[in-house]
Amino acid sequence: MKFKHLAIIYTFIVLIMAVGIKINAQSKVFQTFKDTRVINSHSTETLKAGKMDIRIGHRFGDLAGEAGGWPSFYGLESAQDIMTGVEYGVNNGLTVGVTRYKGSGPLKQNVNGMAKVKILEQDLNGKNSFSLAMVGITTFSTMAKSETEGVLNYFAKTNHRLSYHLEMIMARKFGNRFSLQLSSAITHRNIVSSSEENSTISLGAASRIQMTKAMGLIFDIKKPFLPNKNGFQHWPAGVGFEWETGGGHVFQLNVTNATGLNETDYIPYTNSDWTKGQFRLGFTISRLFTI
Amino acid sequence: MMKYLIVYALLGFGLYIPYKSSPKAQTENNQKVADLEISLGRNLDFKMPNLTIKGASAKVGEEIVKTGFGESSEGKKAKKQSKHFVCTSCHNVVKEDPNLMKNDPEQRLIYTVEKGIPYLQGTTLYGAVNRNTYYNGDYYKKYGNLVDKARNDVREAIQLCAVECAQGRKLEPWEIESILAYLWTIGLKVSDLDLNTEENKLISDPNKTNMDKTLALEMVRGKYLDKSDATFTPPPTDRKVGNGLIGDAKNGYLFYKQSCLHCHYQKKYSYLHLDESGMSRAYLRNAVGTYHNNSIYQVTRWGVAPKAGKRSYMPQYTSQKMSEQQLADLITYLDIGVPKDIKK
Repeated sequence: MKFKHLAIIYTFIVLIMAVGIKINAQSKVFQTFKDTRVINSHSTETLKAGKMDIRIGHRFGDLAGEAGGWPSFYGLESAQDIMTGVEYGVNNGLTVGVTRYKGSGPLKQNVNGMAKVKILEQDLNGKNSFSLAMVGITTFSTMAKSETEGVLNYFAKTNHRLSYHLEMIMARKFGNRFSLQLSSAITHRNIVSSSEENSTISLGAASRIQMTKAMGLIFDIKKPFLPNKNGFQHWPAGVGFEWETGGGHVFQLNVTNATGLNETDYIPYTNSDWTKGQFRLGFTISRLFTI
Repeated sequence: MMKYLIVYALLGFGLYIPYKSSPKAQTENNQKVADLEISLGRNLDFKMPNLTIKGASAKVGEEIVKTGFGESSEGKKAKKQSKHFVCTSCHNVVKEDPNLMKNDPEQRLIYTVEKGIPYLQGTTLYGAVNRNTYYNGDYYKKYGNLVDKARNDVREAIQLCAVECAQGRKLEPWEIESILAYLWTIGLKVSDLDLNTEENKLISDPNKTNMDKTLALEMVRGKYLDKSDATFTPPPTDRKVGNGLIGDAKNGYLFYKQSCLHCHYQKKYSYLHLDESGMSRAYLRNAVGTYHNNSIYQVTRWGVAPKAGKRSYMPQYTSQKMSEQQLADLITYLDIGVPKDIKK
């Protein structure tokens, strides 16, 4: 069975499971992470029922190295990737969203559909000692078709515009100040260059250290198992600060070597090397509305 | 013969005692104050729910009060009244004052802790139908002439609460009548009035004259406050100095737990999560002396206004809901934390 068929079946199963999930927020550990993302990675957090999250994200150019420094004002004068999107909490355990990414890999002008299901939630009485979530992403590149055969955006078939990502995320909050999550994922691109495989397995980790009520230190890293790309420079990783304003805003300011903002982009296409100054400032703004 | 008469008399007397006390027991446990007042001549027809309206019932009213929506006569769930609040966000539905003749926030806090109920800015809906007026005192400063109609009309008061306080849609007539019907089910009971023997005797005397009835009605109506007064109080002039009172951290902790966390814990009705951690305390403590919305002085005395896209606001505490002493207690709790003897 082809991967995309498996992906579709799997997505249906988790969505059906999600319909039955009734999460009583009051007995659960609250905010293992403050946001649905930890820099580049999805966290186990889902939106509360009826909440709409307007999100804007940005990854600037290289802060240092050959492409950075004063000429590009430390990367601030270029944008590697830009994201605008909206997500919605269907119920406390299911979040769906549509997002547009500029894209930093070979496929650009991407439109993403996302569904995240919270399967387990760590609770206060110790019955569930961790949270578990599943996220499914479908990316459709809307970039213009190239006339040059052999390039990725030649798009011989419409299917070639599609990429998928499925990720299982497990997280635990230790006390009030420390959270840790581990994840495993499979990313499938319908079209890749001849030296690559369509499907890529990756492992990830993310963490938050809450320093004050409003501010936390966040980290994330992914290890993609890509053929011919075994060096550490291909591991997208980030470190940053996260502020919660108390009015429904979460603001993340980070430094990462990932150029892309979306899993189907930064997992297979990160080629930036921290040691060569190929890291960049990035931010994400999240604003919640009750609708 | 005499011996039998004595036994008979003793038996009769023994039976007579429970017979005499049973009506009193029934009165103490079940009778509604409103029913008693009606029997004594008070006219409350204008407050009676109109249950001839299709879909109106006390059960539906209870659902609306507690969940925000009830089932309409067509059997469909109505649209949620407010996306931000339900009635019980700000109002209890049980008795919250130990003495119904006093509006004493400090005694109320102790009572709510004992009973395990939240301590809220809004007055309990328990006994709402027994009150004469609504949106009293300084509420005209907040709602202007909207209180004119609501002050003397319980239906208008319910509607004002739905639209302005809960920031929701207007209630349909069947919803208002349902809520009113539910409020009648949680009216004051005679047992809440703490009547003495003489007073009980006065109301239970089956041979009352009209004068007795008038006296009994006056007596009963004097046993509870017929309105919940509201006085808006400004924060201390110098927030760094405070209001000059010495606070009690234990009471401050109880206030924080019973009141602040009711809405803020896990963002139940708020955008700001607060808990009992030192981080939450430090977050609030650092802003106490400022004019920021995070300042306890600011938010407790002025509240936070609803804004476009953020309709979930915080109502202020009137002096009847938070005394100056309680404010000082809360600040002291933020300063020094939970006293060890009550943390368990």
